[in-house]
Amino acid sequence: MPITILAPRPSRPTRKHPQEDASVTSDTDSEAGGVDLDGDLPMTTTRPSKRARLNTTTTQSTAAFEIVTPGEIITDDPQWMRGHGTYVTPSTTAITSSVAGTMTRTNKLLSVRPLRARYTPEVGDLVVGRIVEVQAKRWRVDVGSTQLASLPLSAINLPGGILRKRTETDELQIRTFFAEGDLLVAEVQQLFADGGAVLHTRSLKYGKLRNGVFVAVSGTGGGGGVVRSRRQVWTMEAANGGGLVDVVLGVNGYVWISKHVETPEAGADSSSSSKAAAGITNMEESVSTTMYSSQNDRIEVEAMREIARLRGVVTALVENGLRVDEDMVVRGYHEAVEMAMVSAEGPDDIYLGGERGQQLAAALRGA
Amino acid sequence: MPRDAEPSLNEKQFVITALQENLRLDGRELDQYRPLELSFGDQYGAADVQLGKTRVLAKATAEVTVPYTDRPLDGIFTIATELSPMASPAFEVHRPTETEVLLSRLLEKTVRRSGALDTESLCLVAGQKCWSVRVDVHVLSHDGNLIDASCLAVVAALRHFRKPDTSMDAGVLSVYTPAEREPVPLSWLHSPFCVTWSFFGEEGEIAVLDATWLEEQVRVGSCTVSLNKHGEICQIAKLGGTPVDAVSLLQCTSVALTKVKEFSGLLDRKLAEDLKRRDKGGFMSELRAENDR
Amino acid sequence: MPLDTSTYNLALLRVDGRRWNELRRVHAQIRTQAAADGSSYLEMGHTKVMCVVTGPSEPGPRRGTGGGGAGGAGAGGAAEVVVSIVIAGFSSVDRKRHGRGDKRTLELQSTVANALAASLHIHLFPHSQVNISLHVLSQDGSLLAALINAAALACVDAGIPMTDYVAACTAGSTSTYAANDEGADPLLDLNHQEEQELPGLTVATLGESDRVVVLVCESRVQVSRLEGMLAVGVDGCKQVREILDRVVREKGRRMVQEGTVEKGIGLNEMDVD
Repeated sequence: MPITILAPRPSRPTRKHPQEDASVTSDTDSEAGGVDLDGDLPMTTTRPSKRARLNTTTTQSTAAFEIVTPGEIITDDPQWMRGHGTYVTPSTTAITSSVAGTMTRTNKLLSVRPLRARYTPEVGDLVVGRIVEVQAKRWRVDVGSTQLASLPLSAINLPGGILRKRTETDELQIRTFFAEGDLLVAEVQQLFADGGAVLHTRSLKYGKLRNGVFVAVSGTGGGGGVVRSRRQVWTMEAANGGGLVDVVLGVNGYVWISKHVETPEAGADSSSSSKAAAGITNMEESVSTTMYSSQNDRIEVEAMREIARLRGVVTALVENGLRVDEDMVVRGYHEAVEMAMVSAEGPDDIYLGGERGQQLAAALRGA
Repeated sequence: MPRDAEPSLNEKQFVITALQENLRLDGRELDQYRPLELSFGDQYGAADVQLGKTRVLAKATAEVTVPYTDRPLDGIFTIATELSPMASPAFEVHRPTETEVLLSRLLEKTVRRSGALDTESLCLVAGQKCWSVRVDVHVLSHDGNLIDASCLAVVAALRHFRKPDTSMDAGVLSVYTPAEREPVPLSWLHSPFCVTWSFFGEEGEIAVLDATWLEEQVRVGSCTVSLNKHGEICQIAKLGGTPVDAVSLLQCTSVALTKVKEFSGLLDRKLAEDLKRRDKGGFMSELRAENDR
Repeated sequence: MPLDTSTYNLALLRVDGRRWNELRRVHAQIRTQAAADGSSYLEMGHTKVMCVVTGPSEPGPRRGTGGGGAGGAGAGGAAEVVVSIVIAGFSSVDRKRHGRGDKRTLELQSTVANALAASLHIHLFPHSQVNISLHVLSQDGSLLAALINAAALACVDAGIPMTDYVAACTAGSTSTYAANDEGADPLLDLNHQEEQELPGLTVATLGESDRVVVLVCESRVQVSRLEGMLAVGVDGCKQVREILDRVVREKGRRMVQEGTVEKGIGLNEMDVD
């Protein structure tokens, strides 16, 4: 007989109330590291006759931390307008949430920001993307959205000057600019009605990414991850002789950390402005040679180590549910350098996973 | 994969609006079946069901084989469905579509798992010899409601089927040809029938029986109920689709019961007619010297 | 082995000590996989299921796998819901290999896909695909219900807009179909033994309404018994929904407290002005 009858397991001895749970978790903030696995809830054995509704069952003190969940009626007052993350049932005026998240309000517009969702592109966003498909006159780029974005051939800087006309030769050589798997930084130029995005790289800031590493964290619209901010791209001085390091935080949650290479633009900045103006055509010429190169420059070990450390900082921020922006990354990096100083292995210790990541997050939270 | 052309938006809209006004394109009531024709072949175990333009042929066959080792006392009973490109270009040979998988699962659950055929009676020598009864379902023409038609065809074929008579004599198993001994019917326990409801409208509030292919393409959900005339549910399958009120599902079930009783009556009548047709005077007629000429 | 139901009438307790209207312990987590768009882990008694959701995302140029899944809707104006179910060989008492083309698995895939497609607002994501991957780690009855619940939770975690939770559970009846006694009690949430021996059905409802998304009955039962079983099942679905909802709320509240997500504005604050 293959089946044995197990004695029924008693349910949990103590039945905690959600409120108690909440107080416990707030004390031990960063106890659960990395992936949060303790979403466990004791099952109450009450009959379903009393239907828990947000506003009736929870006390007002914790209401600020409450979220709305799918199917929850937010309001049936017809004065409000429904925004993203909500829907109106056909026969009523009740606005109902369609995602789990927090509520936001813009004048009369109610919307629910989901706890986590895929990136929704907006015009002007700086994104990091990866080419997944090359078509006749455009590339299809994965930007972590619900659809692939497209980058038309006409929206990139062609080698040999911005004002050069696009020719059929360029169409034939489309793979020499970007091929499948290439990473690039671009800006969202336009949106289609169905949510698809069109990108452009018509600036020296944008283009193919080289000399560094890629990290994917969840983007805006989701919990944690990259937030839209004033500066998404910056150059910072790395410690331990790492030189200058560029960080690109794509709004879509894709991050690029690379060694800073003196672009002619930056070189022109440092020299006299008159010379820059005079040499604009030269500058374009020199750009074109490296712009679509698939070769990395030489990177010193020190620089690589600091790039890896920065990558560790970004991952630690995400794992511990902190937002990723310039301030946090820079502070986190300095904190990580300090932590490495006092660690047993000295400044070369770039490990930031597990407990060390939590330690870093705790330090940043405390500061 | 070739696809069937989908109806256009306006076409869909027209069908739905008409249904909301209790009107079907072919003038039927919402709970009315298309004209149902059931005929049997000359051989035992062939049944041909025509439901409007939908036509399904089922053929039952039997052979003596070795039973499965884990079930030495049971015979083998299989239902094979094949949707060939003959029925619709969307079907391909050797690549089961979702429709085909669901159809074969439904027939399996309705007829086999509900114990309509007594598989123990198919056993000849425990662990060594048994009958393997197989029903092949061929869809000849597809115009919606394959499930109900196929189920009726399978049940009709099996009830019409006669397997050769056998006898055990001192450990020797002998199978008799029809000339030697009259073949015997299968040991049949009950006759389940499928009734498929299609739901239309935003909330799935319009329930329609025996949907045509066009209606099936437009519907938002469906629910297949299998019952026998004693009011036993053999299987219910509402596999997703637009949610439907629980109470209306219960109503659907009770209407289905009356339909199943109609099917059951029809099948009994047809079987009796067929029997009369075959049995012209019985044994005495064979002995007569004169023929039809 | 036939299930001994004779003691039920004496103590009104089932083989595992539950009363007729009690669910087994339901334990659920969301966001178990950091790399996925949405993920969940669900236990209903000893039935254990993991779910990972990817998408909605546009399937790349290399299509053609199909995944053996089931489309929720046409490819045109709405996202397609593709479900793949892997039943681990060690998940049930008798170790069995479940091939890819197993019809029962295909049916489960199609059912889960169609059930979720009914609730998810897939029309918001044209040209894309929602991939739901379910792994069955342990089976002890109510498998379809656990699969639907896990998939619903993972979709909530992935932030895919939906009308409401799709919550599922099973219901049964205390005596076999042959005995046509009116005194048979309905039972809630069948385990494997009960599922084998007693008539039962799986119900999934949309949110707190009485509207049934999935109704699957695979055993012979008197038609008069259906109403009682359905009522108990629908009631059980509401309990399950509560539990799922609490899991999501708890996770959300923790995220808000930790500052991962910005605080929302309460409804009361809005009512003031």
